[in-house]
Amino acid sequence: MELTVADLRVTFPGAEEPAVAGVDLTLAGGETLCLVGESGSGKSVTALALMGLLPGRARMSAGILTLAHGGGTSDLADLDAEAHRRLRGRRMAMIFQEPMTSLNPVMTVGEQVREVLTIHQPGISAAEGRARVEAVFAQVRLPEPNQRYDEYPHRLSGGQRQRVMIAMALVAEPDLLIADEPTTALDVTVQAEILALLRDLQARNGMGLLFITHDFGVVAAIADRVAVMRRGAIVESGDRQTLLREPRHPYSRALLDALPERRPRPAGPKPGVEAALEVRDLAVHFPVRRGVLRRTVGHVRAVDGVDLTVRRGGITALVGESGSGKSTVARAILRLERPTTGSVWWEGEDLARLDGAELRRRRRHLQAVFQDPYSALNPRLSVATMLTEPMAVHGLGRDAADRLARARRLLELVDLPADSLDRYAHAFSGGQRQRLGIARALALEPRFLVCDEITSALDVSVQAGILDLLLRLRAEEGLSLLFITHDLGVVGYLADEVAVMEAGRIVEHGTTDQVLRSPREAYTQRLVAAVPRVE
Amino acid sequence: MNEAGPQEVARVTPARAIARAIFARRGARLGLAWIALVALLAVFAPFLASSQPLLVVGEGGFASPVLNHLAPEDGALLGVFLAVLVAWRLARRPRVALVTAAGLVTVALIASHTLLEPPRLVAHEQPRQTVAAGDWDWVVWAPVPWSPDDYLRDYGHTGLEAPLEAAPTRVHWLGTEAGGSDLLAGMIHATRVALGIGLVATGIALVIGVVIGGVMGYFSGIVDILGMRVVEVVEAIPTLFLLLIFVAFFGRDLYLMMVIIGLTSWSVYARYVRAEFLKLRQQEYVQAAVVAGLPLRSILFRHMLPNGMAPVLVTASFGVASAILAEATLSFLGLGPVDTPTWGRMLDQAVQSSTFNWWMALFPGGAIFCTVFAYNLLGEALRDAMDSEAA
Repeated sequence: MELTVADLRVTFPGAEEPAVAGVDLTLAGGETLCLVGESGSGKSVTALALMGLLPGRARMSAGILTLAHGGGTSDLADLDAEAHRRLRGRRMAMIFQEPMTSLNPVMTVGEQVREVLTIHQPGISAAEGRARVEAVFAQVRLPEPNQRYDEYPHRLSGGQRQRVMIAMALVAEPDLLIADEPTTALDVTVQAEILALLRDLQARNGMGLLFITHDFGVVAAIADRVAVMRRGAIVESGDRQTLLREPRHPYSRALLDALPERRPRPAGPKPGVEAALEVRDLAVHFPVRRGVLRRTVGHVRAVDGVDLTVRRGGITALVGESGSGKSTVARAILRLERPTTGSVWWEGEDLARLDGAELRRRRRHLQAVFQDPYSALNPRLSVATMLTEPMAVHGLGRDAADRLARARRLLELVDLPADSLDRYAHAFSGGQRQRLGIARALALEPRFLVCDEITSALDVSVQAGILDLLLRLRAEEGLSLLFITHDLGVVGYLADEVAVMEAGRIVEHGTTDQVLRSPREAYTQRLVAAVPRVE
Repeated sequence: MNEAGPQEVARVTPARAIARAIFARRGARLGLAWIALVALLAVFAPFLASSQPLLVVGEGGFASPVLNHLAPEDGALLGVFLAVLVAWRLARRPRVALVTAAGLVTVALIASHTLLEPPRLVAHEQPRQTVAAGDWDWVVWAPVPWSPDDYLRDYGHTGLEAPLEAAPTRVHWLGTEAGGSDLLAGMIHATRVALGIGLVATGIALVIGVVIGGVMGYFSGIVDILGMRVVEVVEAIPTLFLLLIFVAFFGRDLYLMMVIIGLTSWSVYARYVRAEFLKLRQQEYVQAAVVAGLPLRSILFRHMLPNGMAPVLVTASFGVASAILAEATLSFLGLGPVDTPTWGRMLDQAVQSSTFNWWMALFPGGAIFCTVFAYNLLGEALRDAMDSEAA
């Protein structure tokens, strides 16, 4: 098999710039090409163009766009919709990012995969099809393929669903597999398994793999060759070693330099020894209710006996996989959730015991920045209102004019233009929104900041700016931070101490160097080993 | 490097952006134009259709019999109209606009109830007779020189007449009703009921629904469970039959109808607001407001309500249409208000006598159709605009 693309262009009507502006690439059988770039660089549009899945209003043109496969050579630019459809699945297949929504919830996963098979090989009998699907399930290492066949998607975990998606892509034995960020929504340990699986399957089937990602760690783990995309064009391509070690193009260099694990840890003030915030034996149990009367039949122990200390002026990272309870710890500290037992000591007071007006007064000192830059800002409030309302409630600033002046200084502090005050959230990019979220948290002059996955939705170059902003604020304002993340690269760059959570408990707590370099607990060792690294 | 500067459109407030998106749609402009026309007719009805001349000039000077016959509600409506105009002009400063408008409405209400005292018994024939007798030099008639309750006693003849079929001495553009009164005049005055019943009934339902739904959605838990049971009970009450019962017991009162329609139709809004609030509670900006220690009032009404009103407003515009239809249905069944002209009551007369009186079906029916259609167009455009805003 051989994929050849020359001068591929895609434009959307009404857009100022083409989404894809002259992409050239080649991919041979048994080879993995990683297409890397930040959001909006045109990687996914390129994949959709190859698959013939572009929306109808898009305009596509190409110098060459051919796929040589087991059944001859097809000119992908010239195919009509029906011919393209026959090629999809049989000769080329695609895996998407979101395993939770990529499967039909009312069909068993086995039938969904078998449907793909019978469409491309109509002669196949039901029993034979089932056997083939179970064989592919075994190939993608789904446990007990015979039983999995009759399961509905909601019974499978995210990793298992992604395995079903891969099985669906592979069942008709395509020559070319396109994977669009297939592991971005998964935990690192699951990601490591899926990447190993893809490498393995490719070695066995000899297919070409076009792998789209924004994560250089993943690139280092899977690519043979790498192409860096920016604004619809490939700025640099080469084999993995050369590109990761000696990038020639300034953009690839800037991208790689923005990786937190590649940047030298900045020298900052040493955190104090005394604790700013102490969490003791914290537990948060959610009742499970059933029936008409909503009787409590059990509890989900989201957080189950957590001890945690954040030092004055220090940054403590709380890491763990999804569902480990790290966000619930943050919500309990902020009293968005009432702790079931345990205490949260802040300046000699137990926040877990406070209520009403007492609690509202203390809230000023502990502020939060949230994960999703798009839902964290109220779309109906101007930036000025967003920043000054909390000030007015807590009696900061002499009058409205003084509060506006403070808001202007806050914007300056987070490097946003001062004329942002009368704008609304939709006018800002993801990174700018996250800066606004930080400005809003700082409006109350807090001394403690909880950051819950605040960079996980951002591109690396934007993330670098946000991380440096946090370090600067720590140095200038003397903030203490609890930084929740699943990205160990960010932890190594930012944190003084790390606490590792698993299933509602903290399994390891120590300095960043100790936990990341020589983890003591088995779970931490597995977690650290699963993180794909650029080195 | 990915952080592009804010665009210029940014200064547009979300509400303004939605308004702009609505006006960009032809259906919405059409619907709004019809509703505006109906509203103008409602406000200026006494000057558009009245048996009293607008202005008479004679040897003794001039007079305006129409003004002398203005009822308090005519004056109140004019005051409300003026207030809306002023508020529109001051839209850039919402607080000033609201205060000024509220003040104007209060003044208009008090003034019209103290100053306007129409004669209890109106002899509609009198101006026609005095004019015929040549008492005035110069007379300005209203565009439709008939009042809706002018049964043409001086013409002796009463009954249904098709448009322009009457005696050469009088012109009835749309024909006459069973009592002999002019249909066009009646239809112009009936716009008040059409507008009022929709807006007041929906307004009552909105207030109840938003408050109950908001409380259910924000507090959830046991409050939500009990609230939903109340909603289900209310939904089980058939509005039309309840209206029939109340009409039988308490007589045919228009205001009672508005209240009953309002009291039985709030459950839809409560459901929507509840669902929105349950969703909004999880939004990070609401959490941020809680963390910032903002008072509950601000969290509910500033941070949550404006973000959850979109589906409610869309439903409300359809609700206005169905309230109008409910009143029309009742009046058609002969159970509508007695002394107030309404489109439904006129429609009823189309089939009352042995013949089919086509004009009594076509014109009031067309008016009901257009008004309901206009509100539906508006609701449709509102939904599209909100959807495209949300996308």
